[in-house]
Amino acid sequence: MVNWVGLYTLIRREVERTVRVATQTLVTPWISALLYIFIFGSVVGRRIDTIAGATYIDFVLPGILMMNVITAAFTHSSSSLHFQRFVRHIEEVLVAPFSHVEMILGFVVGGVLRAVLVGGGVFVIALFFSAATVEHFLLFFFYTVSVAIVFALLGVLAGLWAQSFEQLSVMNTFVIMPFTFLGGVFYSIHMLPEKLQVIAYFNPFFYFIDGIRYSMIGIRESNATIGFIVIFAMMISLSIFVEYLFKKGWRLRG
Amino acid sequence: MKALRIVDLKKSYDGKIAIDGIDFTIEKGEFFGFLGPNGAGKTSTINCITGIATHDSGTIEVFGVDVKKEYREARKLIGLAPQEFNIDFFAPVRKTLNYMGGYFGLRKKEREARVEQLLHLMELEEHADKQFRHLSGGLKRRVMIARSLVHDPEFLILDEPTAGVDVHLRHELWRYLEGLNSEGKTILLTSHYIEEVEKLCGRIAIINRGKIVAEGDKSEFVAEGKNLEERYLSITQGEGW
Repeated sequence: MVNWVGLYTLIRREVERTVRVATQTLVTPWISALLYIFIFGSVVGRRIDTIAGATYIDFVLPGILMMNVITAAFTHSSSSLHFQRFVRHIEEVLVAPFSHVEMILGFVVGGVLRAVLVGGGVFVIALFFSAATVEHFLLFFFYTVSVAIVFALLGVLAGLWAQSFEQLSVMNTFVIMPFTFLGGVFYSIHMLPEKLQVIAYFNPFFYFIDGIRYSMIGIRESNATIGFIVIFAMMISLSIFVEYLFKKGWRLRG
Repeated sequence: MKALRIVDLKKSYDGKIAIDGIDFTIEKGEFFGFLGPNGAGKTSTINCITGIATHDSGTIEVFGVDVKKEYREARKLIGLAPQEFNIDFFAPVRKTLNYMGGYFGLRKKEREARVEQLLHLMELEEHADKQFRHLSGGLKRRVMIARSLVHDPEFLILDEPTAGVDVHLRHELWRYLEGLNSEGKTILLTSHYIEEVEKLCGRIAIINRGKIVAEGDKSEFVAEGKNLEERYLSITQGEGW
């Protein structure tokens, strides 16, 4: 039987953690997004012609939003789990009547909620630049939540794997950031040399950014089916792998 | 009824044996002392009982419930006050207790009432909204014990609960623990203060290098004009039981 009260408490604790350090978890990404939108969208964007029929600000906004969703989901679950392991108050959870799945859900839902809060804030900021549109609401919701789930799961993996805070930042610096920037946040992949375009199709981040761009402004550069397959495949394989590690107690139960 | 039954428990870390096939039982309502030098296997045993660590082989049952197979039921029966402060240092005391109650499935009203009751019992009311990191050593120990009691467990494990606590508070905690035991709670206590174990515990086991080297009633340890500390030293120095 599911420990519903316990699960709700785990999630509540994760959300309260986000709110407790709101300047770091919410205000900072909002300010950063505001600067991105202002500089790239407004200042630089005015001097750039349309891309695939969209103004530059309309084109980059979905990418900026997705970049923030990815970072928030990943950072939340990775830092929360790693910090709890570091100060050992993860043991409060380990001695409680939780299944492995409930524990994982606590971190993942916490990460997704933070991602949605950050993404929602970015969307509201974009409204002031008349750049926030949603053409396909259900798809917009799907891409936001499913990509947040993928990165919250990746964050849990990083939170388990990292033995120090330095290692924790490695994933962000060497994987998340480059793949996001190379996934077409600020440009259309058709702007890339032909050989690099082929490589871009192997970058899963491209499908996340392209998917949300389609849901917001109706422009798509990738195959939607491949995008769905990439997202579901990552979600399922990461869920299975993370559950396996929790079950094994890897770097969790001594 | 057996509150704890351990059979042939084995645990190793990266090939290094921490617990080497130990067996012991604790009866319901007992105040049981679990002694041993640093690194002997006390905390490893406790970690296996509570689920902080997984054991390699053997059986652990709490009130007849297997801690691996029926982990949810087993964990509800156990309260742990560990040696180290494994707690969120930035969370206020009341919140920490509230979270812990939630983890164990206590609903809001029941949880809040229980938290207030514990804050009163442990004389923590005026510190309830302070962050854990701002408390003195003695208050921190009280919070750890309060946290272990939130879900009103039948079996309490106290891993050096009075370490770093001044004499007055230590005596206060002793009185409180004796009270809990007289109410029927089973308690497993580890301590490096041998006089504490001598005062509180009815039965004692000594673990050394991962093996139980002595087990029996307190009276068996303090016989022949020796006190518990002298017996403990001779046993752990290999002179036999």
